[in-house]
Amino acid sequence: MSRPVRIGVLRLVDSAPVMVAAERGLFAACGLDAIVQVEPSWSNIADKLTYGLLDAAVMLPPLAFAATMGLRGPAARLVVPMSLTQGGNMVVLNNDAATGVASSGGLLAWLSGQSDRPRFAVVHTFSTHNLLLRYWLAASGVDPDRDIETLVIPPEDMVKALGAGQIAGFCAGAPWGDVAAACGAGQVLLGTSAIWPHHPEKCLAVGAGWAETNPDALVLLTRALLQAQILCDRADTAPEIATLLAQPDGLDLPEVATLAALPGRNSAEQICFHARSAWFPAQAHALWFLGQMRRWGWVGDDADLPEVARTVYRPDLLGPALAAEGILSPQGLPALEEEVWLPSEPTSGP
Amino acid sequence: MKVLLADDNAERASALARLLAADPRLVVLQLRAGEALADAVAAQAPDIVLADMARPDRDALDGIRQVATHAPRPIVLFADKDDPGFMEAAIGAGVSSYTVPGVPAPDVKPILQAAAALFRRHQQARDGQRLAENPLQEREVIGRAKARLIRKRKLTEPDACRWLRNQAMSRGRRIVDMVAELIRDSKGDAP
Repeated sequence: MSRPVRIGVLRLVDSAPVMVAAERGLFAACGLDAIVQVEPSWSNIADKLTYGLLDAAVMLPPLAFAATMGLRGPAARLVVPMSLTQGGNMVVLNNDAATGVASSGGLLAWLSGQSDRPRFAVVHTFSTHNLLLRYWLAASGVDPDRDIETLVIPPEDMVKALGAGQIAGFCAGAPWGDVAAACGAGQVLLGTSAIWPHHPEKCLAVGAGWAETNPDALVLLTRALLQAQILCDRADTAPEIATLLAQPDGLDLPEVATLAALPGRNSAEQICFHARSAWFPAQAHALWFLGQMRRWGWVGDDADLPEVARTVYRPDLLGPALAAEGILSPQGLPALEEEVWLPSEPTSGP
Repeated sequence: MKVLLADDNAERASALARLLAADPRLVVLQLRAGEALADAVAAQAPDIVLADMARPDRDALDGIRQVATHAPRPIVLFADKDDPGFMEAAIGAGVSSYTVPGVPAPDVKPILQAAAALFRRHQQARDGQRLAENPLQEREVIGRAKARLIRKRKLTEPDACRWLRNQAMSRGRRIVDMVAELIRDSKGDAP
């Protein structure tokens, strides 16, 4: 291979499989020369994947679909050979809002008593966080387009905005919910696993052009990440992984809250990396995200969502790595679709 | 045409503002310190936004609907479909451009081109200046970084060299500049 694989990540606990594969030498042991680039925003990840300045990245599934469908600019050609994590986000309220919700007997009652629409922050419009928050609000009788105002704030700025009273609440990934609670800026209302148990969170997105011209490297990349996911899921390795993610010349995450979010630890919401086939990029998952994007009017009625799901979510590309790692025979992949969990509420309009 | 510059680097932003102001057809607006990008777009309704890609709040522009609920006009990432190499170069230089659908591409391209050239020059000047400040320390800085990698990450010396080279390559930087940055970013925790 002529040059190293460039993999983009953000400063989040969900980046653990890539960081572990890089720092523990799993990429190298597979014979893959890989470089990890820490990016400041999801937009950077999407732009660099679109224009080939990154080959692969930890990605939000709805953003992968939005980029592919040209909802944020030029249409990108991306494929998702594997999912990376399940769960891990929290809905957090500032102290005033938390008290208000408790004393008015629920979120809907509190919202109806507000003269100004309370502001809720998510990490990106096309994020799992936004879709889960909106789904949960709608299921509670709230119209997220009418009853609240939605802002986009970078994950690491959430806690400051909450503490300063700029937002009533947020939905963000680990470690920022626990950080907000620990510093007294707010209270955790729920983890997103309460909205959708075992919900898919981050995925691996790869430039389709890179995947087509480097099929062997793609197998090595996905093999190393499958190995890393298994390590990340072990409770006994969690302290080491938290330390690794806290390295100042790496992700520089707050170590205590990072450890809490890892499997087997004490956060109210934990990330799952490997168990329950967390690596499986299910068509049912893709269709749920796409269905929600259409529900909120972000996708036109003319878009062929099953076709988008089939084009982007490509479990077949993971087959060789699953077989090589002895996890599953590729013939077993279709059966996994039958085991996928979906949220229980109907997904029709509010 | 209104151009909003979202760049926290004051020196670079003023240089770009002066450059663009030479075109009488352009009204150049700058983001105020601490002002949120989405708020500025809603308030100023620019036709073009030039954003420093190092900004973490650039994600606020990505939701077309989100911006559209505040401002009457949506903003999307500009793409020159005929010239993807040009877009790659702009992104590589660290600048991205958003436009209102309907703003003709021939008007946007020279503006983004000017911004990309300025960003690139700025990066090169900064690298050069850093080196000029430490003409004799280059080897020592790299040596210390290597020693730290060998100690902390249990790397062999060739692996440490390769790590530094890969990191520098991925950032498009010289090794010595990248190492200096790492040392500064680790809050004085020198190797």
